[in-house]
Amino acid sequence: MNMQWTQTIALFVDAYRELNARKLFWIALALNALVVGVIASLGINENGITVIIWELDTRGLNSSIFPPEQFYHTLFASFGVGFWLAWISTILALLSTATIFPELVTGGVDTLVSKPISRKRLYFTKFATGLLFTFAQVMLFTTLSFFVLGIRGGVWSIGIFVAVPIMLVFYSYLFSVMAVVGSMTRSVIASVIVTLLFWVFVWALHAGEQFTLLGETVQRVEITALERRLENAKTVDGRAPLEKDLESAKASLEVWRPIHISLYTLKTALPKVSETIQLLNRSLRTAADIPTPNEDDMGDEAVAGRNFLGAKYAKRKDVETAVQAEMTTRPIWWVIGTSLLFEAGLLTLGAWRFSRRDF
Amino acid sequence: MPVDPDVLALDLTLVDKTYAGGVHALRNIAMRVAKGEVFGLLGPNGAGKSTLVKVITTIVRPSRAEGTVLGKPLGDLSTLARIGYLPEHHRFPQYLTGRQCVEFFGAMTGVERTRRKQRASELLETVGMSAWADKRIGSYSKGMQQRIGIASAMVNDPELVILDEPTDGVDPVGRREIRDVLLSIRERGTTVFLNSHLLSEVELVCDRVAIMVQGRVARHGTIEELTRESHCVRIVYSGDAVAWAAEHGGVSTAHQSRHAIEFAKATVESVQPALDRLRSEGRVIHAFGEVRESLEALFMREVTDPTSGKARPIGAEAGR
Repeated sequence: MNMQWTQTIALFVDAYRELNARKLFWIALALNALVVGVIASLGINENGITVIIWELDTRGLNSSIFPPEQFYHTLFASFGVGFWLAWISTILALLSTATIFPELVTGGVDTLVSKPISRKRLYFTKFATGLLFTFAQVMLFTTLSFFVLGIRGGVWSIGIFVAVPIMLVFYSYLFSVMAVVGSMTRSVIASVIVTLLFWVFVWALHAGEQFTLLGETVQRVEITALERRLENAKTVDGRAPLEKDLESAKASLEVWRPIHISLYTLKTALPKVSETIQLLNRSLRTAADIPTPNEDDMGDEAVAGRNFLGAKYAKRKDVETAVQAEMTTRPIWWVIGTSLLFEAGLLTLGAWRFSRRDF
Repeated sequence: MPVDPDVLALDLTLVDKTYAGGVHALRNIAMRVAKGEVFGLLGPNGAGKSTLVKVITTIVRPSRAEGTVLGKPLGDLSTLARIGYLPEHHRFPQYLTGRQCVEFFGAMTGVERTRRKQRASELLETVGMSAWADKRIGSYSKGMQQRIGIASAMVNDPELVILDEPTDGVDPVGRREIRDVLLSIRERGTTVFLNSHLLSEVELVCDRVAIMVQGRVARHGTIEELTRESHCVRIVYSGDAVAWAAEHGGVSTAHQSRHAIEFAKATVESVQPALDRLRSEGRVIHAFGEVRESLEALFMREVTDPTSGKARPIGAEAGR
């Protein structure tokens, strides 16, 4: 075995030993198992939802409209991944790994950088070892969920293990920020605060982009609906208000569009945390062949009357279909590729600074 | 004078370092350390000793560096596999056991698994830590951590061991044991570069020393060479001070609450007349023999400003 491999393995074994010595690691693992236990305790039958041996009278939600396999898939994707792993478990992981880089550049740095390993390789390997925490947590959660889905839901869906790489990629976006801030400031508190603020920022940016996408789409659908109505309008009196509304919708579109493009452009350059998590939903829906609820349940009523984002004629179904189409056509390379590009750029900056620093 | 690089472990011809804040820590350092010798680096706090050690081990980037370490250019990464290093303010991972720590640093220098396990056991025995080898470092005293540090620095069978204050925080018994370890390292032919404040320790184990003051090498050579100028013959006697010392080329002085005469650049034979005169005056001779300046006296002389008579300001000078 060459020296590089020996060093890399040693750093990973060391990272495992460090995790092993941390109580928070074991607490987080126990919490993950507990959450899967809660999911396993829930069930669904023809009368409604069950909790262990108790039955809840939820007649609108039973196994005839929500088969057990879909029920557990939804619980896994929405609650397990969408809430637990994407938020609570991630916060625990950030807290657990926050000391890695500040400690690297303070306490143990002399003994490591004086070894025959390039500083850049040391930096990137340390970063990779920091992902061990998330890997262990997600792997346990997904493996237990796999058995819950199989035993309780009757479906042995190997596809749910896609959650492991997706969550690792998702976590790596945030950990890259933490690594760079931690290694530059040497402060655990600063690295945690900046990472959480960054997370809130990209989440808010995503929310803003989604809102402006909705606004833009509403106006587009409104314009299409108005143009259709104008084609059918026979009298001048009938056309006049429609033409006025059309002008108004076009003007409104000109306001929404540049804002959306700006936010979309900014988002392209940053990690797409929400959309990365949503990739799991896309993947699971494909794996379990679960229909999109919106496709079946969407109302046909027009937004008209509610004056939604200034629209009177756009149908809710058309708007949601158009937004859904836009979201699903965003390619994986855009979601993950550009996010990883940001991460790589940030880590390169951190590694460059680390490699030029005196200790 | 050109020297065969095969006999030099360290051949620094010009090392200069100015930190970002403008502190000029190293000024044109030139230094040679022969293979197999124990070399002591002395100097007051802030003289640049640790900076020099960190430049050699690539922890600090020099502003200018010319020279070789184990025959390779200074800063060469592969050379670090042949060096063992114990930093001054080390913080070994508290979650590791002593054995795991030694093995980890062995792996980081590329030592193959079976070999590093074997070496770890041997070295833990050598530094007297076998009984504590499988307990976590977090439960160790400072002295025990130093021993683990020395074992970690030796795990790759280095050709050059650099120890920065290895006895820092260690009690006298531990210091003696560490000194014995250093001597055993030397016996194996390993070059030892020792950075220490403890002059008595350096005097006991080092073949050659360098004294750094304010980023410069003020003196370097064997202890014999450095103290040669101060060589004299001293006679310690009873009674009042004699007034005739100068007649015999001596200087009246005091030694441990008694009067004495010191004869610079003299021999035992050449001072016999003065000895006879003291005896003829009925004085008792308490001590007689050749003496040299101690390393401590030499050190204090080098770090003292001759004009003010006070110690030179601590730390390297800022700016050029």
